[in-house]
Amino acid sequence: MKVVLLCSMICGAAIGYVWQKGQLDRLGRQISERENRLRQLKNDNTRLVDQIDYLRSPVMLDRRSRELNLGLAPAQPLQVVRLVDLPPAPAAGEARQFAQRPAVGGMPGY
Amino acid sequence: MNNKLQLRRAALLLVLLGAAFAGLGYRLVDLQVLRHDELSAKEQRNTEHEFRQAPKRGDILDVNGNLLATSVPVKTVCADPSLISTQAYAVAQLIAPLLKLNEAAIAQKLTPRTFVANNAEGELVTNQLHYVRLAKNVSEPTWQRIYAAMTNFTVDLEGRKLSRSEQESLNNLRYHGLYAEADQLRVYPQGSLASQVVGFPASEETNVDGHFISRIVGRDGIELVMQNQLSGVDGWRVTETDKAQQEMVEWRGADVYAGDGMNVVLTIDSAVQNIVESALADALEKHTPKSITGIVMRPRTGEILAMASLPTFDPNQPGSILPETRNRVITDVVEPGSTFKIVVVSGALDRGAVKLTDEFDCEQGHFAYAGRVLHDHEAYGRLSVKSIITKSSNIGAAKIAIERLGDQALYDYAWNFGFGQRTLIPLPGEARGFLYPVKDWSKVSIAQIPMGHGVAVTRLQMLFAMAAIANNGLLMQPMIVNRLQMHDGRIVQQYVPQSVRQVISREASEQMIEALKTVPTAEGTAAEAGLKDYVVAGKTGTAQKAEHGVYVSGKYVSSFIGFFPADNPELCISVVMDEPKEGYYGGKVCGPVFHEIAERCASYLNIPPDAALVTNTPPLVADTLLRKGPNP
Repeated sequence: MKVVLLCSMICGAAIGYVWQKGQLDRLGRQISERENRLRQLKNDNTRLVDQIDYLRSPVMLDRRSRELNLGLAPAQPLQVVRLVDLPPAPAAGEARQFAQRPAVGGMPGY
Repeated sequence: MNNKLQLRRAALLLVLLGAAFAGLGYRLVDLQVLRHDELSAKEQRNTEHEFRQAPKRGDILDVNGNLLATSVPVKTVCADPSLISTQAYAVAQLIAPLLKLNEAAIAQKLTPRTFVANNAEGELVTNQLHYVRLAKNVSEPTWQRIYAAMTNFTVDLEGRKLSRSEQESLNNLRYHGLYAEADQLRVYPQGSLASQVVGFPASEETNVDGHFISRIVGRDGIELVMQNQLSGVDGWRVTETDKAQQEMVEWRGADVYAGDGMNVVLTIDSAVQNIVESALADALEKHTPKSITGIVMRPRTGEILAMASLPTFDPNQPGSILPETRNRVITDVVEPGSTFKIVVVSGALDRGAVKLTDEFDCEQGHFAYAGRVLHDHEAYGRLSVKSIITKSSNIGAAKIAIERLGDQALYDYAWNFGFGQRTLIPLPGEARGFLYPVKDWSKVSIAQIPMGHGVAVTRLQMLFAMAAIANNGLLMQPMIVNRLQMHDGRIVQQYVPQSVRQVISREASEQMIEALKTVPTAEGTAAEAGLKDYVVAGKTGTAQKAEHGVYVSGKYVSSFIGFFPADNPELCISVVMDEPKEGYYGGKVCGPVFHEIAERCASYLNIPPDAALVTNTPPLVADTLLRKGPNP
């Protein structure tokens, strides 16, 4: 009985060892494959981001607007509305005024 | 008797076994102890491999983050002809259409052959060729298609069954006959835009154990100057491989990631660069000069927003890179012509030697001095200093130098404005120009130099001298690199504007600007350079070219350098044409180009117009809000 038990333990340990080695090998391959896939996806991502950046670049937009004859032109200085800083905030103690939308009759706007 | 015999036999067996064990023991000691180092190294060579992990070369970006240069991963397709064996033509037929290469040429490369070489012991041995390169810069999808085609490769057996060794050879051919090495390709998404600033690289190859490792190395422009910052640091991985050369990840040892190169962010704005290049291209078509250059910079900081020289090249097409496509803005020196008058007049104003209202006799266009006769393009009588600039009188400028400034002071101001020395812009090939010391001057030099003859300058030097006047007399260092940053946007180094020296006083620069404002007017030499909504200050230049020491008629270098808004300068722009064909006066040929560039840049950069010039201004939003008064 003891011998059978001992042999079973040794066989079990040996099979376990081989199984573990097999698992290590399988997981190693999976890691390797997924590393390659990750690298490929990162490369694709970079390429696509670069492509979007290029399509959005001023040079490309200018070229496309000319090609498509959209009639777009730079704004003339008179067409530009400029914002200037509002007067400084009131000092402490002074009543603070908040900008409000002008009241519009009827229902509150949605 | 029997016992004795048995004992003898047992003793003999014992001796034999003992001898056998002793032999084995000796062998064990020999392998494990005496030859340990040698065999351990051999074992490591067989199983352990060190793989280089190439860093990604950094990108080059414009100031707004638009890509000017980047690297994309590609594959170099290689083959082991010894595994291809007799199937060279069949494999070539399969992959040639995918690689878009000639079938016969590929078949020739794939044909097995031997070569003679020295082995480790120095003996001549015959080896089989195991490595040939079929194609470089192959995209990942193309390589995937090639790999799929190879794994499905079949041999016509005519009904015969493959032997075990034939099956093994076929598998080797399918999976290991062709393989790919990782590589990078430098790509310039904007094509020729700012190509002379960005530069171009070359692929440098080193042979490591029979395999070629290629690296991208800058050859010109920022690619060259920022090579160390862009290239990054190699990583490596020590690991073990199986018989099929597949990595056994569980035995992976040292794994050091590559340090990618830094991104270089330029001060160049690709939109401004595009404006400049398209304006220069139009002018190139109209005036057909040998070359035309344009620069846009911010006078307060020295930041260069655009730098272009036509003809140019597309770095994606190495064949388009020719000597005449060099960056002439910094490599070529020319006599500047009348734009150099800003040096003598601002110097004299700075010294208090003249006032804008002081008058000089311009001799009706002919002035004999030191055995030479100076000419003006029109006959002028008495002109004020301001009018000398407005009309660009050579005689007036010469007289200011002769009568009020003197040799040494003229030289000192020219030197302080940056002539005769490099601006130290971080671009390769910058010329220093020629500004001879006073001891080497001839008698007529003091009359010639104020009108831009007898000195040779780069376009960049001339622009920065003008920018110094725009910047209250303070000369700035040219800035072309804004910052270095990592791929995730972390800033490693931010470059800041640096001043070089105060060349002239603020008061002198203000007076000079007053004079320069009169140039792009109806009375001045560059009426075409004026802008509707901005006051422009600038100076024209028309220099006759010298060849073999003699001035040649009909060949000119024409230029206009100006800045605006004159009293609050935002941009300083230079346009220079070399040998324009339709007209040659700087104001006439370069003035309109300046006008176009300035108008479009002002709109793009949203530069507020000069209030004095704007009529019917729409009310400011703030004014409208304030007029409404307190809210109910």
